[in-house]
Amino acid sequence: MKKTLLKACVLGLMVTGWISTGSLFAQSDPSGKKRVTSTYAIINATVITAPGKAGTKATVLIKDGVIAGVGSNLSLPMEAQVVPGDSLFIYPGFIAGASEAGITRPDDPERPKDFNPTDPADVFAGVTPWRSALDQYSAESSQVEDFRKAGFTIAQILPDGGMLAGKAAIVLLGSEYSTNVLKTNSALAANFSGARGVYPGTAVGVMAKFRDVYQNTKLTKQRADQFQTVSGSTRPEQTSTYSAMMDVINSEVPVMFEASNDLEVRRAISLQKELGFKLILTGLDDYSAVIDVLKEANVPVLISLEVPDDKAIKAQKEDAKESVKEEYARVKEAYEGALKQASLLEEAGIAFGFSVVNTKAGDVKKTLASLIENGLSEEAALAALTTNPASILGINRIAGSIEKGKLANLVITTDSLFSEDSQVKHVVVDGYVYDYETKAKKKKNSSDGDKVEVAGNWDYTSESPAGKSGGVLEISQDGSDFTGSITYDDPSGNGTAKSDIKNVTVDGSNLSFDFDVAAGGMSLTVTVSGEVDGSSFEGNMNVGQFGTFPFSATLNPTLIANK
Amino acid sequence: MKKLKYFLAAFLGLSFSFASAQTPKGSVLIKNATVLTVTNGTLENSDVLVEDGIIKKIGQDISAPSGVETVDATGKFLMPGIIDAHSHVALDVVNEATAPIVAEVRMRDMVNPYEIGLYRALAGGVTISHAMHGSANVVGGQNVTLKHRYGSSNPADIIMQDAPRTIKFALGENPTRVHGRGKGVQPRTRMGVEAILRNGFSEALQYKKAWEDYNSASSQKGSTAEAPEYDERLQTLVDILDGKIIIHCHSYRADEIYMLINVARDFGISKLVFQHTNEGFKVAPEIAEYTMGASVFADWWAYKFEVYYSTAYNAAILTKNGAITSINSDSAELIRHLYHEAAKTQRYGGMTDEEALSMITMNPARQLGISDIVGSIEEGKQADLVIFEGHPLSVYAIPQQTYVDGVKYFDIEEDKDDQRLKVSPTDMVEPIFLSEEDHRCLQGVELNFSDISETLFNTNY
Amino acid sequence: MKRITKAFFAFLMAFLPFMAMAQIDGEFVKPRTGKFLLQNATVVTITKGTLENASVLLENGKIIQVGTNVSADGAEVIDCSGLFIYPGMIDGGTRLGLVEVSSVAETNDYAEVGNITPNMQALTAVNPNSQEIPVTRVSGVTTVMTVPSGGLFPGTAALINLLGYTPDQMYGGFKAVVMNFPSSARRGRWDRRSDDDIKKDNEKALKEANDVWEKAKTFAKLKENGAELEYYPEIEQMAKVTSGELPLMIEVNAAGDIQNAIKWVEGKEGKFIFSGVAEGWRVADEIAEAGIPVIAGPVQELPTRESDRYDAAYANPGKLAKAGVKVAIRTNEEENVRNLPFHAAFAAAYGMGKEEAWKAVTINPAEIFGVSDMYGSIEEGKVANLIVATGDPFETKSDIIHVFISGYRIPMSNRHIRLYQEFLDRSPGLEEHK
Repeated sequence: MKKTLLKACVLGLMVTGWISTGSLFAQSDPSGKKRVTSTYAIINATVITAPGKAGTKATVLIKDGVIAGVGSNLSLPMEAQVVPGDSLFIYPGFIAGASEAGITRPDDPERPKDFNPTDPADVFAGVTPWRSALDQYSAESSQVEDFRKAGFTIAQILPDGGMLAGKAAIVLLGSEYSTNVLKTNSALAANFSGARGVYPGTAVGVMAKFRDVYQNTKLTKQRADQFQTVSGSTRPEQTSTYSAMMDVINSEVPVMFEASNDLEVRRAISLQKELGFKLILTGLDDYSAVIDVLKEANVPVLISLEVPDDKAIKAQKEDAKESVKEEYARVKEAYEGALKQASLLEEAGIAFGFSVVNTKAGDVKKTLASLIENGLSEEAALAALTTNPASILGINRIAGSIEKGKLANLVITTDSLFSEDSQVKHVVVDGYVYDYETKAKKKKNSSDGDKVEVAGNWDYTSESPAGKSGGVLEISQDGSDFTGSITYDDPSGNGTAKSDIKNVTVDGSNLSFDFDVAAGGMSLTVTVSGEVDGSSFEGNMNVGQFGTFPFSATLNPTLIANK
Repeated sequence: MKKLKYFLAAFLGLSFSFASAQTPKGSVLIKNATVLTVTNGTLENSDVLVEDGIIKKIGQDISAPSGVETVDATGKFLMPGIIDAHSHVALDVVNEATAPIVAEVRMRDMVNPYEIGLYRALAGGVTISHAMHGSANVVGGQNVTLKHRYGSSNPADIIMQDAPRTIKFALGENPTRVHGRGKGVQPRTRMGVEAILRNGFSEALQYKKAWEDYNSASSQKGSTAEAPEYDERLQTLVDILDGKIIIHCHSYRADEIYMLINVARDFGISKLVFQHTNEGFKVAPEIAEYTMGASVFADWWAYKFEVYYSTAYNAAILTKNGAITSINSDSAELIRHLYHEAAKTQRYGGMTDEEALSMITMNPARQLGISDIVGSIEEGKQADLVIFEGHPLSVYAIPQQTYVDGVKYFDIEEDKDDQRLKVSPTDMVEPIFLSEEDHRCLQGVELNFSDISETLFNTNY
Repeated sequence: MKRITKAFFAFLMAFLPFMAMAQIDGEFVKPRTGKFLLQNATVVTITKGTLENASVLLENGKIIQVGTNVSADGAEVIDCSGLFIYPGMIDGGTRLGLVEVSSVAETNDYAEVGNITPNMQALTAVNPNSQEIPVTRVSGVTTVMTVPSGGLFPGTAALINLLGYTPDQMYGGFKAVVMNFPSSARRGRWDRRSDDDIKKDNEKALKEANDVWEKAKTFAKLKENGAELEYYPEIEQMAKVTSGELPLMIEVNAAGDIQNAIKWVEGKEGKFIFSGVAEGWRVADEIAEAGIPVIAGPVQELPTRESDRYDAAYANPGKLAKAGVKVAIRTNEEENVRNLPFHAAFAAAYGMGKEEAWKAVTINPAEIFGVSDMYGSIEEGKVANLIVATGDPFETKSDIIHVFISGYRIPMSNRHIRLYQEFLDRSPGLEEHK
């Protein structure tokens, strides 16, 4: 499935993606896709210009990708297309401090015949600081679309790779007519992953190798300086690694270290203290033990926009033995502690942003709600989505708030951002307006009486870059438990495959379930979730890192009749 | 030039990043114990006063200074904190198994203070352990000496900052299996192991000379001398040659032990301790004459071919031949009863109480280069102490309280059962470990040949 | 360095007289049987109290007489004044004789290919000349269960005495079919299966066990009716279990698995023994109620869970015994079965008490294995398996100075001791390095 999907993605890009040549002059457009104007006025909306600012009724005028004005009595130019904003809320566009959306890991180069795993060339050791995330990035990826839909307008994209994966870049999640690049070399992406079976194979080797590369870059610079100034000096040997590391040792570009837990945070900081580079920490999941360390080191921080799942908490049983209850209590304490961490950062005065690496775009709203429920202020949450990452990435002059002269990046919602019913109606990126369908407010279920019927056989269709496919979803009910299976086109070739469905939950009219698909020796979990309305089901199918795709199904009436 | 020197100093100074940690120090008066000093005999009904983590006074009828808690140890035994010269406790990574020499990697980078094994070791009276790199390489990484100040989330707090640097070497089956047979590179034989060592040290000498030449040339005006490549691997070997690092070498057979003694003598290295050393007894006179001795198992043998011709009398033979001998664990379980492992030398070779106790206190302290500050109950030493119910060399002995720097970290009466410092928020059912992961010498090593891999996992020390 | 003093040798002679026998060049000491009177010792019978200044008379491999007034009557008299006599210790679960060097696959004979192989006989694969046997027996362990492992029904374990040149000479008169009870526990940190998958794997394995059990019952019933059945050695062996001819020794460790195993056994005809029972202490009352005896251990072992009290494994046998379970102790070892007394001592120190701990390595395993008429205590008529020690044989300081197995006085030597004798004062010693 993975390979098929990937191929399909690439193919899709080639067919649909035509990139503008950047001509300044208008042309005809037989595709009919071109917009009529680049000037928009969103009028009479509640505008929150920056975190902590009260919402005021105002109009936002944007022109050629820039905010041309914010205010209550702006004079609108003739070419302005008016977007009615009554009842809408406008926020600065979100900024993902670190993201892998749209990134595809490059194929490993073929190993030479006489390959020596104990002393591999840098490229096999995961040392590829010369690589650029831009070379691995596709703006057409459905993941990019998913994050835009969640309100993200700018992302720092990290290359996929080993310990020194390469140069991060900052991009707009913008139109297909632009390259969308804001910065080509914003950070050096680093992590503690070893190069499996090859030196350095583990985190301890990675740390040693990091020191070695760093020190030799410094020596290379010293030799180069000497070569320039002292006649008779030998020409220094430049390698692509040392060349690419040069602006890191000059502190022009920070090292962006992925550090998921407190011990990795300490390791990254100890390397930084030892060697003296500029450091940004990213991907923090478990960091409550190092909040004072982060504060003291004064290192910019991007935490994972994720919270631990609550399966373990839900599985705790009331009638457990006392000793088991004590263990439950510790898990619960750990769980609550994990949710509270972000608020502790706020308390400590650490201005953090978010990394969306490993984040499902569809979960962003829920995750934010959970952080706020556990003590993070709405102001700090908004800052972590806007002004903080703008500062951390060094783009606060052009992004992060709604101000005249900044990039026209906006999130426009149906209600105040963090309220339960708020939905994203428009996202403006670089002056381009993206419209999203919103649904009428859900009726609150007053009782269990209007639980929907899901048992039976459903015919479903789904759409993915690989094309349209479909099959039969069978659900049976036993009390409040649901089980079943699903058929689908076998990703490994011809015919149909079948998997059991798991974690089936019916909550009001919402139905969700998972199933595993085996493809190419690996197993992929697919999550389907959506709304049941009578005998029809509309929802989405999430296929891990490949993105989210529409999924609809109809309950087969004859089988129900047979029951 | 000054700048350059500083630059080099930064290369060489490997431990300053953690140096600023402040660890807790306690004061306590332990009264009326049978004090097993190890270095000065047994003192009946005696008191030991600890102030600010240091043993201040040993004697009788000592009264507690104000504010210092008194512990009544009447009928109990007090001994120095037990020192394990070979463990892999509290390390997130044990093996960087990817090259025959990985001298540049540092176990102190991988210390995990949350490991429950630290508390369990304290419950067995162990206050210091030598957390070692694994045995996959001829020259492994640099080890770290830990003080079991369990409870902190900061690795620096459990690192014994005043212990000297040590490094892991390994001979015989493990490095030849991982490299020669696993990767198709040298060494595949014990001949290759010697060659790797001699090549490494010879290259290190060249490296040292290159930097010395460069440094003296570059101080001349208008020098065109080019700075050599920096190589922390070779620099670490230079530090060994300069006597700054103690070698702790995983070894089993007499011939390979003898080989390393010869290599060390040829390169002028004297800071050398053998680990495991199952056939050390066969070359006990040589070990005694030329090295800092051997750290051995009490009775392990026959789990692999190179330990088939072992004897549980090894420690006794080594001791009687004058070699410094310690008993170690290399195991998450054995570390919990090293006092019992040491007692086995009384059955196998009739060691005296003092000889047996030295094997888990003073002798490992000597081998780790810390015997001036720990390892015995002496005034002025760090107050790492254990109170036992029963003589610690009795099989029925039970540790009651364990102190590190005068601070109590284990108390059999007061401690709650669940001592985990960290719990996963997503753990549904806790994993159950049935005799798992107690031996970790080859932990994390990928073995690419299947015929024997299954048995390897059973016996990987 | 060569300062091995005469005093030390004098010490050696005084305290380790057994060594003297093997120190003469060229002499090989063989086990020797006959009529022996062990005179004037403290005799710890286990079942009949402790007798001071008592003697034990051995003849024809049996204990003939125990008491304070035993006449030599032509027996070779061994003066045991100041010494202690105990029954030989029994290890309830080992791989002794089935493994020589565990990392050398060619010397491992405990795990056969296949999931249902109850017909694999440990007794056939026992190597009577294993170097590990003499190393073990001088510690006072005279009898062990040697147990195959691997699949669901990996084979048939056998009780062996640690003396003999053929497996039949060693055989201790008891066999049991081994079962590895399907586990519903996560096996360790590396076990990444989902909870659902663990449940499924467990259910599948249990179903397989039930199928085998039912087939065996059918086989036994048809045989009883006189049917001539096709050759099916696996089920034929299992039929001996369902018919009660051979007990089933069930390896089970996690608390939940023990509860499942109790349920599984319920209503089944046959004899059942649990082994391992690492988490037995969590469900001790339930095991006691079910009346199933256990072979617990290893005792010197880590707790099964990180959250457990550090001494969980040490205290396990004591807690089981207190709940009323009949407990034997095992090392689950091969080359270090000699540590059985230390495992027992740890159990004793951590709540079991010395008396119960002694039973757990003598009479309890004998009773569990149905051989208490032959082994497990010093009583007239029982097999002469006993040890003479300078003190409590659990203590490391004590020396075991005589061991009798099946009435044979065994040589107190082995490779470890011979290497000691050769290398204590090596000759040539230290030579100048050239």
